Amino acid sequence: MPSYPPSLASSPSRHLSQYSTSSSTLVGGTANPTSTSMSTGASTTTTATLRYPSTRKTIYDRNLNRSRNAELSRASFAYLFMEMVSYAHRRVQGIQDFEKRLNEQGYPLGLKMLDLILYRSSPAGSSSSTSSTSSSGGAAGSNRPLRLLPLLTLLTTKLYPLLFSRPADSLEQSTTNPGEYMIIDNTPLTNQYISVPKEMSQLSVAAYIAGIIEGVCDGAGFECKASAHNTATDVWPNRTVFLIKFEDHVLEREKELERQGVK
Amino acid sequence: MSYYFVIISPADTPLFELTFGTSKAGGDGVPRFRNGETARYMNQFIVHAALDVVEEVQWLSPNMWLKVIDNYAPTNSHISCFLTGTNVRFMLLHQPSAITTASAGSRSSTISSTSIPQNPTSPQTEEAIRQFMNEVFELWVKTLMNPFYTIGKPIKSPVFRQRVVGAGRKWL
Amino acid sequence: MASGQKAARVGEEVWKTRVEKVNAELVTLTYGTIVAQLCTDYDYDYAQVNQQLDKMGYNIGMRLIEDFLAKSNIGRCGNFRDTAEMISKVGFKIFLNVTPTVTNWTADNKQFSLLFDENPLADFVELPDDGRAQDELWFSNILCGVLRGALEMVQMSIEARFVSDVLRGNDVTEMRVTLLRYIEDEMPPDDD
Repeated sequence: MPSYPPSLASSPSRHLSQYSTSSSTLVGGTANPTSTSMSTGASTTTTATLRYPSTRKTIYDRNLNRSRNAELSRASFAYLFMEMVSYAHRRVQGIQDFEKRLNEQGYPLGLKMLDLILYRSSPAGSSSSTSSTSSSGGAAGSNRPLRLLPLLTLLTTKLYPLLFSRPADSLEQSTTNPGEYMIIDNTPLTNQYISVPKEMSQLSVAAYIAGIIEGVCDGAGFECKASAHNTATDVWPNRTVFLIKFEDHVLEREKELERQGVK
Repeated sequence: MSYYFVIISPADTPLFELTFGTSKAGGDGVPRFRNGETARYMNQFIVHAALDVVEEVQWLSPNMWLKVIDNYAPTNSHISCFLTGTNVRFMLLHQPSAITTASAGSRSSTISSTSIPQNPTSPQTEEAIRQFMNEVFELWVKTLMNPFYTIGKPIKSPVFRQRVVGAGRKWL
Repeated sequence: MASGQKAARVGEEVWKTRVEKVNAELVTLTYGTIVAQLCTDYDYDYAQVNQQLDKMGYNIGMRLIEDFLAKSNIGRCGNFRDTAEMISKVGFKIFLNVTPTVTNWTADNKQFSLLFDENPLADFVELPDDGRAQDELWFSNILCGVLRGALEMVQMSIEARFVSDVLRGNDVTEMRVTLLRYIEDEMPPDDD
């Protein structure tokens, strides 16, 4: 890549002021070579107050793939999700508010899962090695989605299996609106155990999944709104369409990248 | 070599900062930036300027590992970048130490060694930085999975810091 | 112990053949989301969060017991020791795929501990470094409510609480379960 020294004369447009200016941060942020045992870790920071078991097992010692293929009871998910929904219900007014709340619960999960997906898509991350640092692998081998199709494929073939151990049932583009895509799930897990009262028949608790989808897209830089819609059929009473509406600037960039031949 | 590592959110908020020196070839892990007292602010400035370069290339290459994307000649600083799926930037500024025999103020660019502590652009150095970034990315994902880590907020876990320090010592 | 072995066999059998499965991480992440949301909603008043989690668990327990009895096809337990084995080797096995160790019985056989080697609910969790969470929050407190709710439906009034947690820096995660009394059939269940 061509690089050039930034001119000091040009004022920085970014917010350097966000950096802490306290000297304690600087001390904490500097590897302290005088410490005799760096592996104890606590010596490298002035703010450590967390306690750990004597086995020193922390989340950072746990292999990221350890629970990758682990299973739990579907009923356990259903019970927890039902509590999430009824808790949300007590704190909202109206269906729109309700769905917004469920969407907001899923959204941060989407942001978090995107990097987990990329980690696991990499040669090292997909193995069971304890570290991603084999010489040829590492997440450096994974690709970030740049275009809509790779992103949508990631949703149906990577995100869906991560969550539900199967791909989504189908992916469609709106015929009337080019910025709208639909992911179809005939049997969304969220809807299987929840019977919605009649006065709320429009409510889709799959808004939780829509939030996760929206989080993945936003995180990847494809800003959008994702919503869940009941589209029951005789065969699939819980059939749900996740409607993803991308923002205009995402579609403009898509056209530009297409012109430049970026895949 | 002296290093300044910073994780920067898509909203340009620094989430984690660390300065360290090389531990290779008998290095003591202490950073010795050329610009002394002002190094901290200078490094932040240089890295932030490099974010513009990241923005230029991030939609052209799907790679997460973008290698050296910028440099700043006055302090002989090189900036490598690793981009996560959520467009969080891992920025590493690496600056070779001034040659000890050179008098203060003189900038020597005649470093012949290809070793990691000496040469900021050799293939060995690039590979070492890539390994470092990979290891930090794994730590990053572990941080994300914690339900109490809020996206866009500084990483406060002391264990995370300890492990990044360890990755620096191991690879750089 | 014979009842322990039998319970283990039943638990394995049910888990393998009669439990519909789901990706464990979906459960873990969903639970983490619930706890984090409660912490936000209750402004990090961890005592309140513990209480809410216990309440949620109680609701779950009351529904879950039916599913448990139907799947495991077991009759009424003869004594509280048998109940403990069933909780660990059948209940926890089929709902969380773990079998906490039953131990530390009191002489009157009314109190025991469950020691958790593994706890899928807490798999990715590091508590907030705010100087309070490790002293005040019981991250997995929902499990206490589940036990309380489930056992109440089978005429046992119990108290369950965590006394240590690896998330707090303890070496074990331990839940203490106390039998308060057997509920007479004619009495309505406690309204919480």
